[in-house]
Amino acid sequence: MEKQSEDPAAAEPASSGEEGGEGGPPQVAGAQAACPEDRVSLLLRLRAQTKQQLLEYKSMIDANEEKTPEQMMQEKQIEAKIEDQEAEIEEVKIAVEMKKLALDSVLMDHMKHVLKLNKLIMKSQQESWDLEEKLLDVRKKRLQLKQASESKLLEIQTEKNKQKDDLDSMENSDKIKTIQQNLQMEIQITTVIQHVFQNLILGSKANWAEDSAFKETVLQLEKNLTMI
Amino acid sequence: MSVLRPLDKLPGLNTATILLVGTEDALLQQLADAMLKEDCASELKVHLAKSLPLPSSVTRPRIDLIMFVVNLHSKYSLRNVEESLHHVDATFFLGKVGFLATGAGRESHCSVHRNTVVKLAHTYRSPLLFCDLEVEGFRATMAQRLVRMLQICAGHVPGLSALNLLSLLRSSENPSLEDL
Repeated sequence: MEKQSEDPAAAEPASSGEEGGEGGPPQVAGAQAACPEDRVSLLLRLRAQTKQQLLEYKSMIDANEEKTPEQMMQEKQIEAKIEDQEAEIEEVKIAVEMKKLALDSVLMDHMKHVLKLNKLIMKSQQESWDLEEKLLDVRKKRLQLKQASESKLLEIQTEKNKQKDDLDSMENSDKIKTIQQNLQMEIQITTVIQHVFQNLILGSKANWAEDSAFKETVLQLEKNLTMI
Repeated sequence: MSVLRPLDKLPGLNTATILLVGTEDALLQQLADAMLKEDCASELKVHLAKSLPLPSSVTRPRIDLIMFVVNLHSKYSLRNVEESLHHVDATFFLGKVGFLATGAGRESHCSVHRNTVVKLAHTYRSPLLFCDLEVEGFRATMAQRLVRMLQICAGHVPGLSALNLLSLLRSSENPSLEDL
């Protein structure tokens, strides 16, 4: 009836996977042939495991501290109590789920807010970029206008220089010389005639100041023709 | 007479141990092989026993999960399991014990009624799994499930404990127990 046998051959410590670093050799934390990433992941897993196991032991200790009823209760009562406790557990679990959902929704709100702000930032950046482009265009135009005005002024200067040169060259031409000479001669002749008439009138001792027409003629004779 | 206690030893690093208790040696061995073939990040150790109590002469690691295998074809296996249950400490039944009923596929050979096993599982408030261990495909699936359960019971899954798993499994079972 009560066979107290345990199959010794069945106590195989063989682990299951042949892949990965932690599969093959029966050493647990060994895996010396594994690369560092596997080691790190193994360590992380072990850490999670140890945490979980510690939690279990702690909860067991806490549970054991609770006082169990000493008197023998009827089976029905025990069953009823058990069911009450199970209902309590269910309620606690539901409360935890609700809290998680609430946290998630708050998280969702924050994320939506962050998304909105990001969109706004992108829009503003786009606008500022456009404005900078416009500014750049205006500056380019200004530069172009300056360059155009510079060239125009240069043209004007060359034109003026040319005109001056032309004028200077004209002055040195022969035609002008002969005309000038003639002019001088005519001026001299006229001056001589002026002097002659002046002397005639003075010599005649006539009162030329009385008659306005006479006065005008005399004053005209006084005009220095070289100044014209 | 030694009683199995769940947390009397410290756990081995990255190790999970399951104890299969049942009279069907061949089936247990096949199930053990299927389990060991599974992909698992932690090391698995499978112990097989015909009945409890286990001999105290052997040093064994901390047992994380006990599966009592009942063959619906034989009343003897049921009686064996019932007697072995006395040697398990009450704290084990907080999610670290499970019942596995095999042989339900061939109704004509079943001498143990399905409801008997259901009531047994309900009394001990442990999950009951049905699986035809003789069929290769079902055995492989059950091995997968057991490996997952074992990982959780050994504390290798962060955020999920054996008790958690128990209440999760329970909520799907409860409707069927109402008609008992």
